[in-house]
Amino acid sequence: MARAIESQHHTGFFVRGPSATARLFFFAVLSLVLIATDARLHYLVEVRQGFIALLHPLQVIANAPLRLIDDSSQYLHTQTTVVKENIQLKTQALEHAAELQRFQALEVENERLRSLLGAALISSQPARLAEILHMGRDPFSHKIVVNLGSRQGVVAGQAAIDETGVVGQVTRVYPFSSEVTLVTDKELAVPVQVARNGLRAIAFGSGRDATIEMPSLPANVDIRKGDKLITSGIDGIYPAGLAVAEVVMVDTTPDSPFAHIVCKPLAGIENHRQLLIVSIPKAELPASTSTLNTSTSERSKKVAPTKRHANN
Amino acid sequence: MRTTSLKPVYFSLLAALVLQMLPWSGIALVMRPEFILLTLLYWTLRAPHLCNIGTAWFAGLVVDLITGGLFGQYALAFALTAFFAVTYQRRLALFNIWQQAGYVFLLLIFTQVTVLILKLFSGGEVPGWEYFFPSISGILLWQFVIFSRINIDGRTNQA
Repeated sequence: MARAIESQHHTGFFVRGPSATARLFFFAVLSLVLIATDARLHYLVEVRQGFIALLHPLQVIANAPLRLIDDSSQYLHTQTTVVKENIQLKTQALEHAAELQRFQALEVENERLRSLLGAALISSQPARLAEILHMGRDPFSHKIVVNLGSRQGVVAGQAAIDETGVVGQVTRVYPFSSEVTLVTDKELAVPVQVARNGLRAIAFGSGRDATIEMPSLPANVDIRKGDKLITSGIDGIYPAGLAVAEVVMVDTTPDSPFAHIVCKPLAGIENHRQLLIVSIPKAELPASTSTLNTSTSERSKKVAPTKRHANN
Repeated sequence: MRTTSLKPVYFSLLAALVLQMLPWSGIALVMRPEFILLTLLYWTLRAPHLCNIGTAWFAGLVVDLITGGLFGQYALAFALTAFFAVTYQRRLALFNIWQQAGYVFLLLIFTQVTVLILKLFSGGEVPGWEYFFPSISGILLWQFVIFSRINIDGRTNQA
C-alpha cells in the first residue's frame, strides 16, 4: 500500500519527455500568439465557428436534463390550468386583433402621408423567434446564446428584442447558435432618443449592475429621472421607436462638465426564455449599408457623429 | 494501482465539459466551480505522465470556445496552472490532504487572477469580489476528492 509517488515506478530516468519549463514556454507562446491573433486580426472567426459546431452535440446533451424537466412539467399541466390559459390567451388575442386593425389603418395612412411628403418609407422588418440556450458561460460578460445560427439565416449585427424593448445585438454567429450581446454590456452602444423631447444620444452599457449609461452629455442636458429612452433608428440596425431604458438617476456635479446619467433597461434582460431577432432594415440611408457585418466597436465609432449632433 | 490508461482522463474531462456546459444561470452561474480546471488539477497531480501542460492547454482552449471570450486566455491560464501543479507534484504527494487542498486552492485562485489580468488587458471591466466565488466552490468540491477514496497519489485514503 505504501506507494507514495507514482512516478517512482518508472524504470528509465528520462521518461517524462520535455521538461515542464520547456512545455510551458511552448504553450505560453502559442496561447499568446492566439490571443494576439484573435484580438487584433480577427482571423479565427471560421475556426471558432467550426469548433462550436463540433461542440453542438455536447451542448444538446447538456441542455437535455433541463429540457426534460420542462417538457414533463408541461405535460403534467392539469386540464383546468390549460383551459384557463386558453381563455386568457383568446381574450388577449381578441384585444390585440382590435388594436392590430387600428394599427394597420394607421400604418397605411402614415405611409400615404410619408409618400406625400416625399420622406423615406419605413418598412416593417420581419422578426424571428429565438430561444435562449444559456446565459453566457462567463457571468461577467453580459452575453446570451440563442438557438438560431447562420444556418437559419441570422447575421451578425441584427437586433434582438423582447416584448418590452431592446435586449441587445447579435455579435457572433455560429452554424447552429449565435451570441447576443446585451445592452448592458460595456461594448454595446445603442443610438437612442429621449421619448419626451426627441433628444438624440448614445447609450452605452455600463458593464456592471445591469445598467446603461449616457456619457458625454452636458450638465445642462434636458433629461430627467423617469424619462423613457427609445431607439432613434438612425443607425439602420434597430427599428425606430423601440423602448430601450428608463432614466433612474441624473447626477450633475459642479466639478464635471458632463452629466452622469444612469438608466435601467426596460426589456427583461435577465429573465426570459425567448426573444425576437429582427432583420436589418433594407438600406435606404447610404450610411447603413456599411453597418452590415461590422463589429460593435466599429459600429460605435460609426455612430459617434450623431452624438456630437445631439450635444449641439 | 498505477494509472496507465488515458481513457478515464479523457472521459472525466468530457464529463466535466458537459457539467460546465449545463445551462447555468443567475446565482448558480456566479457560484459554479470550474469543473474542467478541477478535473485537470486532479489528473495533473495524480498522473502527470497522462495529463500534463499540453492537456491543460487544450482543455483551456475548449473553455475559451465555450465561454466565447478571447481565444487563448483560458489556455494560457490553464497551462500556467498546470505548470505549477506539475513542478510541485512530487512534493505534494508527501503532504497531508489538508496541505494538498490548500495548494489546490492557491492554484484555483492563481488561474482566476491570470484570466482576470488577461481580460483587463483586452479591455474588460473590473468584476466584484464575487469573481472569486468559483474558487471557493471549487475547493469545496475538492473536499469530495479528500473524503472519497480517490486520493491524488493513488492510495486509498484511510489515514
